[in-house]
Amino acid sequence: MQGYILRKLISLPLILIGVSLLVFISIRMLPGEPARVMAGPEATQEAVDAMTVRLGLHRSIPEQYATFAISALQGDFGESIRSRLPVWDEIAQRLPYTLALAVTSYILAIAVGVPAGMLAAIYRNRPPDYIVMVFAIAGASIANFWMALLAMNYFSVHLGWLPLLGANSWQSYILPSVTLAVLPMAVIARMTRSSMIEVLSQDYIRTARAKGLPVSKVYWSHALRNALIPIVTIVGLNFGGLIGGAVVTETVFNWPGIGRLMVDAVRYRDYPVIQGVTMVAVFGVVVINFAAEMIIAALNPRIRFD
Amino acid sequence: MPSLSILRKSLLASVFVGAASLSAAAIAQELTVMQSEAPRSMDPGDQSATFTNALLAPVYEGLVLRAPDLSLVPGLATEWEPNADGIEWTFTLRDGVVFHDGTPFDADAVVYNFERHLDTDRGLAASGRLRTFLEGVEKVDDYTVKFTLQGPYPAFLNILTTNAGQIVSPTADAEGNLGAASVGTGPFQMAEYRSGEFVLQEKFADYWGDNSQSVEAIRWTWSSEPSVLSMALQTGDADVINPVPPAFAQVIDANPELELHVSDGSAVFWVALNTEAEALSDVRVRQALNFATDRDGIVNAIMSGYATPANSPLATVSEGYNPDLDPYPLDLDRARELLEEAGYGDGFSMSVVVQEHESRIGEVLQAMWAEIGVELDVRRMESGVWSAAAFGNVEQKAQEGVDSVIASWSSGVNGPDLQFRPLYHSSSFAPGSANLGFYHSEEFDSLLDEAAATVDVDARNAIYGQLQEIVNEDAPHVLLYVSRDLYATREGVENVWMIPGGLVRVDTATKR
Repeated sequence: MQGYILRKLISLPLILIGVSLLVFISIRMLPGEPARVMAGPEATQEAVDAMTVRLGLHRSIPEQYATFAISALQGDFGESIRSRLPVWDEIAQRLPYTLALAVTSYILAIAVGVPAGMLAAIYRNRPPDYIVMVFAIAGASIANFWMALLAMNYFSVHLGWLPLLGANSWQSYILPSVTLAVLPMAVIARMTRSSMIEVLSQDYIRTARAKGLPVSKVYWSHALRNALIPIVTIVGLNFGGLIGGAVVTETVFNWPGIGRLMVDAVRYRDYPVIQGVTMVAVFGVVVINFAAEMIIAALNPRIRFD
Repeated sequence: MPSLSILRKSLLASVFVGAASLSAAAIAQELTVMQSEAPRSMDPGDQSATFTNALLAPVYEGLVLRAPDLSLVPGLATEWEPNADGIEWTFTLRDGVVFHDGTPFDADAVVYNFERHLDTDRGLAASGRLRTFLEGVEKVDDYTVKFTLQGPYPAFLNILTTNAGQIVSPTADAEGNLGAASVGTGPFQMAEYRSGEFVLQEKFADYWGDNSQSVEAIRWTWSSEPSVLSMALQTGDADVINPVPPAFAQVIDANPELELHVSDGSAVFWVALNTEAEALSDVRVRQALNFATDRDGIVNAIMSGYATPANSPLATVSEGYNPDLDPYPLDLDRARELLEEAGYGDGFSMSVVVQEHESRIGEVLQAMWAEIGVELDVRRMESGVWSAAAFGNVEQKAQEGVDSVIASWSSGVNGPDLQFRPLYHSSSFAPGSANLGFYHSEEFDSLLDEAAATVDVDARNAIYGQLQEIVNEDAPHVLLYVSRDLYATREGVENVWMIPGGLVRVDTATKR
């Protein structure tokens, strides 16, 4: 176990270096120079060239990467081309909003998805199962920005119940987190259902029933505990997807998180911000996946990481 | 994500028929303005984007200002006088003006501002516009400066009203933080900038003019989703939205709580034809495409009617614009005839590069030109990718097979030279400037230079009249339409106005 953790800890910096190289090079492969995009279409080429030099983008990619890597090791991701603020400050300002949204959505997704999946498994091939599965399939297929716009128009514009934009009160969390929760909720419900169905056919469940345990105890403590393993795996692996979803959701709701920061950064070819946000997101995904593995090990003592 | 814009469109069409109901309680005397893009810099001299200019307009001023009736009025200069040949201009500066950081405004500040643009090492984004005509600026005394131009330049005073001529605090600029925190002399000063959320501007107590009537604070926000702009206005999350997506204009117009403002704009939309491409090097082919273009149809299909079909390379609000031209009425027979004469009776195929949000223009043209046997390959691109393709030089365009580019150009109300020169002069070939189809005509070049050196307005406009006819005849572009400027306000918001080209002005706004 210790060996495994140690290997994980060693691999983290390697992953970060690999990803940083990949991102660094690939954004520079994108057509569209930052100076041209920032200066605007009406700027003269002379102005664009001068700006390119000022931003240090006239240097070779290895040279640029070396500068970036040396500063990044010292915790400095440089300055945003657009806002001129340190990239770290930009990220630090917004990360709490994204995390808050992600956590709210995940709580919501689990709180609804797990019981719904259990319900579907218990009433397998009967109406409750069909209803849950219709919602799960729809939830996994509907584009979340589209649903977001519909919900905004109905609940904010039409009924006036919920705030339309921003993160100004707890009510502001409702629409974005529901929007963001729909996809993981659907995935979790489906996963819980199949995992429960499998567990429910096991001998020990029959035994538990046969010895007269109350039904609720059979389902909640015997079956669910074992069914949780694939669910935790999914939750852990889906964290990256959640960040991806946040990009769209935050943009639509003007949510001041790193997803929206990323969209603006890509639009304006704000290389330092793209690099910074990617590194932070990758770090987050790796850590969450690692945490998920540890939880799985705790849930199932038979699993050994060697 | 690639399906985003398609779904968005179907959404526009289907969902937003319902009217708005409520209004959220806003903080009294704070005006919220929502635009379609995030600001690019807090330094007016380091960007050249309309929506950023609108956001910075309450904070910065030029020596000359644009009044709501679009005339030029004294700003940080009280008067100005050119010498006989229009090369030297002497400005008397306003006394008693201070920047928001307390720095006094004087001749040194003015000289500093223009020198930072003339300094090529600075690489400021808006400098190019000044460097094309400005030789130097010198201090005469504390409140007098003298500008020396490279030659007579009709747009000089106009440019002093724009972002390139806006005066920033020399102290703040020297500290190097102007990109993140604006410091000017305007009626509002920047209070807070959260780059992912908003820019907050508050009234400046020591303003030299009278700013007592307007709102106390202006909050700028932005969203790239057109439907979000419209919803934000309906809920009261925004008091002003700019621009109004044409598809939402009628919904807003029908709502008694909202007011839609429509005025003539200055952005001319066109297809630049690559005159170096085989078929398109023949003027008859270019004219044929113009004859095959149903401009009224495009205006209705793309702009919901909120545009004027283009009959000239100049916008309808431009000085010297000739409203009587009608060079290319829809005439498919004439178009086929021209193609036949040029040896393309069986048609030909060509490509066009277009930004995603304008791609419908390409699709509509594809259908229209198919009528005369022209097969148009529409290449939709993300804007940064598009910009790299559109501004490619002759070789790059040949290599990538780029035969035409859909784009637009707006020179506001700053004079025809700023429209003609970058788009059609032979010194403006891409990538250096925006002659994207490499059009070159000696007659055009020499007349344009002659106009620039003509001080008399009527004589100059007569030349601009000729230039419009030359461009129409040579057809380097398929001219499409001139957009109209649409912005909307909530009931009770007054004294908002528009500089043609989409630059909304809210610094005089009041709110009930």
